[in-house]
Amino acid sequence: MIRFEGAAKRHPDGTVAVRGLDLEVPAGRTTVLVGPSGCGKTTILRMVNRMVVPTAGRVLLDGADVASLPAAGLRRGIGYVIQQAGLFPHRRVIDNVATVPRLLGWDRKRARARAAELLELVGLPPETARRYPAQLSGGQQQRVGVARALAADPPVLLMDEPFSAVDPLVRAGLQEELLRIQGELGKTVLFVTHDIEEAVRLGDRVVVLREHGEIAQLADPRTLLTAPADAGVAAFLGRDRGLRGLGLRPAATVPLDDLRPSYEEWRLVLDPDGRPEHWARGTERHPAPVFAPARDSLRSALDAALLAPSGRAVAVDATGRAVGTASRTAVVEALAADPTPSTADPATATATATATATADPIPGQVPHAGR
Amino acid sequence: MLDGEPLVRWRWLGDHLGYLGDLTADHAVIALVPVLLALLLAVPLGLACARFPRLYQPLAAVFNVVYALPSLAVFVVLIPYTGLATRETVMVPLTCYALAVLLPTTVDGLRAVPEPVRQAATALGYGPWRRLAAVELPASVPYLIGGLRVAAVSSISLAAVGALVGRGGLGYLFVDGFQRTFPTPILAGIVLVALLALATDLLLVAARRVLAPWARGVAR
Repeated sequence: MIRFEGAAKRHPDGTVAVRGLDLEVPAGRTTVLVGPSGCGKTTILRMVNRMVVPTAGRVLLDGADVASLPAAGLRRGIGYVIQQAGLFPHRRVIDNVATVPRLLGWDRKRARARAAELLELVGLPPETARRYPAQLSGGQQQRVGVARALAADPPVLLMDEPFSAVDPLVRAGLQEELLRIQGELGKTVLFVTHDIEEAVRLGDRVVVLREHGEIAQLADPRTLLTAPADAGVAAFLGRDRGLRGLGLRPAATVPLDDLRPSYEEWRLVLDPDGRPEHWARGTERHPAPVFAPARDSLRSALDAALLAPSGRAVAVDATGRAVGTASRTAVVEALAADPTPSTADPATATATATATATADPIPGQVPHAGR
Repeated sequence: MLDGEPLVRWRWLGDHLGYLGDLTADHAVIALVPVLLALLLAVPLGLACARFPRLYQPLAAVFNVVYALPSLAVFVVLIPYTGLATRETVMVPLTCYALAVLLPTTVDGLRAVPEPVRQAATALGYGPWRRLAAVELPASVPYLIGGLRVAAVSSISLAAVGALVGRGGLGYLFVDGFQRTFPTPILAGIVLVALLALATDLLLVAARRVLAPWARGVAR
C-alpha cells in the first residue's frame, strides 16, 4: 500500500506543484490520478519512487517512509512506465526487458529467460526479442516498456501517461491488455492520465485532481460518472456521462429472446458455424451488430440494438455464435433496472467531496451538478 | 611546373615504393595515435562534464583556444621541450586538436540521449555514474564515431605540417618536392594523404556498423 501524508512539493522558485496530498493507494488495485495538465499528477507519481522528493509531508510504501530507503534499491522494486517508453536504443528488446533483473544481479541467462516470459505476457511475438527499439512501432515499444517495468515482479507499478502517445485504436488494445495483465497479476498500480475515458476504463478507483494536486473527487468510475462531486468535476468529465457510464455496466443483465426464424419482416442469417452473417428483408442485406453478454457493456448492447435494422442486438457467445437476441426495449429495461444515484443539493455535494478526500463519496448524496 | 619536367615521373614512383609505404605508415601513426589518445581522454572528461555541467564551459574554452593556434607555431614552441624531429613534437599538439573536436562531440552525444531514456534509466534503479556508463555512453556511440571521423581526417591533414619541424610522414614529400622543384613526390604525397584519410574514414564507418548496429537506418 502507498500512503501520502500531507505530501507537498514546492519548487525552488516558490511555485507550488502539490500543496499537500493525503491519499491512500490500496494494494492490488488500480488507482488512476486524472486531471488537467499542470495539476501535479506526475509530481505525485514521482514522489513514490523518489524521483521527486517532497518538500513537506511524506510518502509511505508498506509503512516505510520512502525517504529512508536507498533510492536505487527502492526504484528497482517499483515498476515504472512512461509516455515515450524510454527504451534503451542500444539494447535489443530482450535486454531492455532484462534490465532490472540484471541490475539485481541475476545472471544473463536467467534474466533473458524471465524477459522472454514477460514479452509473452504483454503479447509480443518471440521474434521481437532480437529487435532494437527503433525497429518497433509505438504500440510495440509501449508493450516492451510495460514488460520491462514488470520484469523483476515488483509489487508496485507506476504508469505515467503510458498510452498517450499512441493512436486511439492501438491505445484501446493496450488498455485491454493492461486490464488483462492486472487481472492476472494484481499489482498495486498508480496510473496517471489526462484522459478521463482512460481513467474510468482502467481504474478501480479514480482520483480527479485540480490545481496543486488537490483532490476534487475520489470515487469508483461508475460513481464518478453518475455523481460528480461538483460542477468542475462534471465539466471535466465532459458530455454524455450517462451514456458513458453504461460502458461500465455489464450487458449480462439484458434479458435475451431465443433465436427465431424471423422477427417481423427481418430474418437473421447465420453462417454454417452459427455465427450471425446479416439481417435480411427480401433482397435487402444489412450487417448484424452483436454484443457478448459475458464480456461487453450495456453500452455495447444498446449500440448494437440501435444500429440493427430489425431493432434487435444479436447476443453471441465467446466463439461468436449467436445465442439469442435482445430488442431495444429489453436493453432499455435492463438500463432502468439498475437505478443511478439520485440528485441532491449541490452545496452539500462540494462539502462532501472535500471532507471525504481519502474515502469514497457516498453515492446518493452527490448531484448531477453543472448539467 | 618546370620546363622539361613532367608532372609525374612514373619511374621515380616505381623506385620509391618501399619509401612511400614507410612514409605512409609513419604518417598514420603520427596522425592517428593522437586521435586514440584524445578519445581515451575525451570519454572520461566528457562523462565528468555530463555529470558536473559546470566543468564543461571552461574545458571547452581551453581546447577551443588551443584549436585556434596555428599548428606550425605550436610545433615550433614545443621543440625546446620535446626536441626537433621527434614524434612527440607533432603528436602532443595533434592530441590537443583531436581533443578539441572529441570533447564537445562526447558531451553533445551524451546530452543528445533522449530525456525519456534518461528518466527511465533512473526510474529503473541506475545511479548517476552507472547510468552514464551503461546507458548514455553506449547510446551516444554513433555521435562519438561521427566526432572521430572529423578528428581523424583533420589530424591526417594537420600531421603533414609536421614535416616542417622534421617529422611529418607524407608531409616530407611536399618539403622535398618544393625544395627540388620536383612535382612527382608532391603529387604522390597528396594522393597518399587522401587515400589514408579515405581508408581511415571507411574503417570508422565499418566500426560504427559493428559497435552500433542499432543505429543503422536511424538518421544521425
